[in-house]
Amino acid sequence: MADEARKKRDESWLGRLLDGDHEAFAEFVDKYKETVFLCCRTLGLREDEIEDAASETFMAAYKGIRRYRGQAELGTWLWRIAYRKGVDYLRRNRRENQLLAEQDEQLADSRDIQALAELESKEQAELVWEAVERLPRLWAMATVLFYREGREVKEIAKIMRVRQNTVKTYLFRSRKRLKELLAGIVGEDIDVSE
Amino acid sequence: MSASKEEKFDKMLFQALQKHSEPVPADFTDRMLRQIREAENRRILAHVVVEERLALASCIVLGVMAIVAVAAFPDIAVSFKELVGTSIDKITQTIGGHSAELSRSPIRYEWQLYAVFAGVVGFAVCSLTDLLVNDS
Repeated sequence: MADEARKKRDESWLGRLLDGDHEAFAEFVDKYKETVFLCCRTLGLREDEIEDAASETFMAAYKGIRRYRGQAELGTWLWRIAYRKGVDYLRRNRRENQLLAEQDEQLADSRDIQALAELESKEQAELVWEAVERLPRLWAMATVLFYREGREVKEIAKIMRVRQNTVKTYLFRSRKRLKELLAGIVGEDIDVSE
Repeated sequence: MSASKEEKFDKMLFQALQKHSEPVPADFTDRMLRQIREAENRRILAHVVVEERLALASCIVLGVMAIVAVAAFPDIAVSFKELVGTSIDKITQTIGGHSAELSRSPIRYEWQLYAVFAGVVGFAVCSLTDLLVNDS
């Protein structure tokens, strides 16, 4: 019963959203703003660029929402727009070469992260995030989509406009690199408690 | 790493990344809505401007076409003028009886027709120039 009520509410919300209702769009922004910011940050946009790119993403979504036919889930559809906007932003500022490059200024081995952990006694989640931020941007993007957003390889391939095998390669390499970076932290005692 | 360690590593990544929360400015939604309203207003305004320009352009095109027609087909223009004159006669006779004779006569002078016509075209051109210069 509750599921059905929620489904009906979602359908009416989507209907209002497609009709260009501002209130429904505010809900949409509230629901997905963190996702869009995360996408832009994962792509390596600077702090001052993230908000601009996020605004451009939502403006594009607002203009394009009438053409949304529901072939993909709304979140996936928005991820695609955010990803494209983020890459456009990098291209505009001639930084697209950073997408596949190691983050030079951040390039570190596991000892750096260990040192960080010891010095600042950071939480494991934060350390993992920092390690992800050290990955090449496309690997990081695939990792975030897979592990954080729980997307399937097929969906990730659609969002990133690459082949599924490419996504698998990104994930494989990223996992390997993360293991190296986090070796000292997780080591033999991987903490998987809540 | 053994299979179980691989799984543990995956699980750790999954849980750790799930915990990451992305900082977003508190007023981002409000600012976004404001931007959207402004964009909507700009879109409506642009639509109105295009409509106005089209209306003015069609006024000018019709005017120019009328002038060209008068110059190119004088016979048709004369017969059209007579037709209009006859129609005005009939209308004014129906409405005003004797006083109509006075009101219709000046309009039949050709120079006055051209003066009125030139005035209308001049006004249209001025309005269009004003619109184009102010909007661009």
